[in-house]
Amino acid sequence: MSVLPPDLDAAGFAAFLDDLRAVVGPDWVWSSDEDMHAYRDSFSPVWNTEEERHASAAVAPADVEQVSAVVRVARKHRVPLFPISTGKNFGYGGPSPNVNGSVVIDLKRMNRVLEVNEARAFALVEPGVSYFDLYRAIEERGLKLMLDCPDPGWGSPVGNSLERGVGYTMPHFRDHFGAHCGMEVVLPDGEVMRTGMGAMPGAQTWQEYPYGFGPDPSGLFAQGNFGIVTKMGFRLLPLPEYYRTCLITVPKRRDFVKLVEHVNYLNDSGLIGEVEYGSPLRAKMADPQVMALITKAGGVSDAELDAAAEAAGLPCWQVELQFLGPERATYENWTFARDRILGDIPGAQAIEGEHFALPASEHQLDTPQQPWPSAIKRRRSLGVPSLGEWKIVRDDGHIGFFPVLPRDGEAVFEMQRVLGDAMKAFPTLPPFFNALTTPLLWHTHTFQMVFAPSIKHDDPEHNAISHAAMKRCVEVAAEHGWGDYRASPIYQDAVADTYSFNNHALRRFHEQLKDAIDPDGIVAPGRGGIWPRRFRA
Amino acid sequence: MIRRDMLKWGALVPALAGVPGMARAQAGEGLDVLLLDTRFGEGPLDDMGAARVLTFAGDVTKVWYEHLDRAWRQPGFVVGGITGADALFVLETLARQQGRKVVARKALEVAPLAGDIAPVSWVIAPAHPSVLA
Repeated sequence: MSVLPPDLDAAGFAAFLDDLRAVVGPDWVWSSDEDMHAYRDSFSPVWNTEEERHASAAVAPADVEQVSAVVRVARKHRVPLFPISTGKNFGYGGPSPNVNGSVVIDLKRMNRVLEVNEARAFALVEPGVSYFDLYRAIEERGLKLMLDCPDPGWGSPVGNSLERGVGYTMPHFRDHFGAHCGMEVVLPDGEVMRTGMGAMPGAQTWQEYPYGFGPDPSGLFAQGNFGIVTKMGFRLLPLPEYYRTCLITVPKRRDFVKLVEHVNYLNDSGLIGEVEYGSPLRAKMADPQVMALITKAGGVSDAELDAAAEAAGLPCWQVELQFLGPERATYENWTFARDRILGDIPGAQAIEGEHFALPASEHQLDTPQQPWPSAIKRRRSLGVPSLGEWKIVRDDGHIGFFPVLPRDGEAVFEMQRVLGDAMKAFPTLPPFFNALTTPLLWHTHTFQMVFAPSIKHDDPEHNAISHAAMKRCVEVAAEHGWGDYRASPIYQDAVADTYSFNNHALRRFHEQLKDAIDPDGIVAPGRGGIWPRRFRA
Repeated sequence: MIRRDMLKWGALVPALAGVPGMARAQAGEGLDVLLLDTRFGEGPLDDMGAARVLTFAGDVTKVWYEHLDRAWRQPGFVVGGITGADALFVLETLARQQGRKVVARKALEVAPLAGDIAPVSWVIAPAHPSVLA
């Protein structure tokens, strides 16, 4: 489907493409329908509809100088650019832009691992570097460092962290933007800026002290449109000596509140890695009576769920804990966690799981031997990127709504009930929110829950239901103070609209900044719900 | 990629489409690597005509990381496969990143797996001038 950039006719577009070719060479500019198919969002719920967003062309610069030159060409022709690193942001829009006719600036050729420093535990990479690339750079040099990677691991540390993506190891590394340190950015006028200590010529601490002096604008470039990040530093975890797991179960529904409080303490004290909450009762969801109970309008009572658990001979909840560190420390942390929780929650039980020295062998990575049905995905828990632990494709993909809620058991019960009731309007979708839905502790200090209905390219009716349900989720969640943390371009305005304190003061501030540095919307207009004056009109 | 290469590699797909079955022999002629997704059955892996046959069971991580990612960083290298459509999606997405594309694909007349994962035969070949042999 051919589209043109906003306010540009075919002759102007041709002249623009000629200027791009002069910068990057003729082989690195694409505009044919066949080539542009790769820049569609194949997980889009509006696939092949009027709402789908299409880019008009793509350009792949080789280095920061070419990025700067491309931005200047775009500025001259007033063409919006949509930067992508590796374009794997599936579930959140993939490589597709906010504005029809935008030109994708594909940074895949900028794929150099510039530095990995073992002694000081950091890396500096370009946007086209994937987690696999960085893993390989560490593995081939035999460095004792651990990545924290998303699942799947085919995306880029730069792109994922700028989307505020998450991982699965220790608390302060799971928040990928939080674990970055220092960036280089091409601004909308083509200038190259460095943040933090990178702003000081000769400084040796760009990847160690994030702030430099004065205001730190780094946050503006995450889910934002104030520049194109061309280098980014990341803190890495020194490879822990040992890995250990355990399972703790608690019998009653209300025990979940105390269980969460204990796990919060362990997490915030740096004693555990990512946790997997779950309910053993999920094994009974094929039973129509259990399914009817957990999806009951208005939610379940403690007594109802406790009775179901007792009848099934199962505890209501479980949490899988993971420990990383020296062997003795992991043992002491495990026994501390066990004693603390079992000493406070009557009927709680603990099972010791696998434990072994790191790095893990291929056998240990491929064949977990936990003495319980485990939800832990071994590779990602140990910072080893994968393409298969998490199933990338269900039907033709999926969309994702991940509301942020407090790390509080009562808040979990409330979200189960409120969003469970709201989603009853969409009965053909799976009951993502039900009385057994457990939270994710991916980001360091918050819970999230998952709503991720599938997409089917040949079933527009199904997609329309998923699309409508997604928008309804955003609305209902916001009424309760639960905000989405990340969204596809087609949902970004709706999500941004829910962050409305003081008559949208935050959005108005962002708009003032955007108007000041990028009034024509050269860099990703609309991204993060931030539109420059040209497009607001 | 020049047209005669496209035709040559595209012609492999009908041959691959016969698999599993008697047509396996020489199914991979002209390929540097033939990938077989063992979720759709296992059989004799020798004498299929490809320079090398690699197998996996749905998860392409190892064959991509240990073989294709390295090979795709150099010019040339043609890969064929008989895999689930889910595995092809992953490989196709990664191939595009490295200047390659699916030049032929064909859904196979084999019952899909649970979850409606259909088998497909395909060929991925260099497309961008930077990786043409």
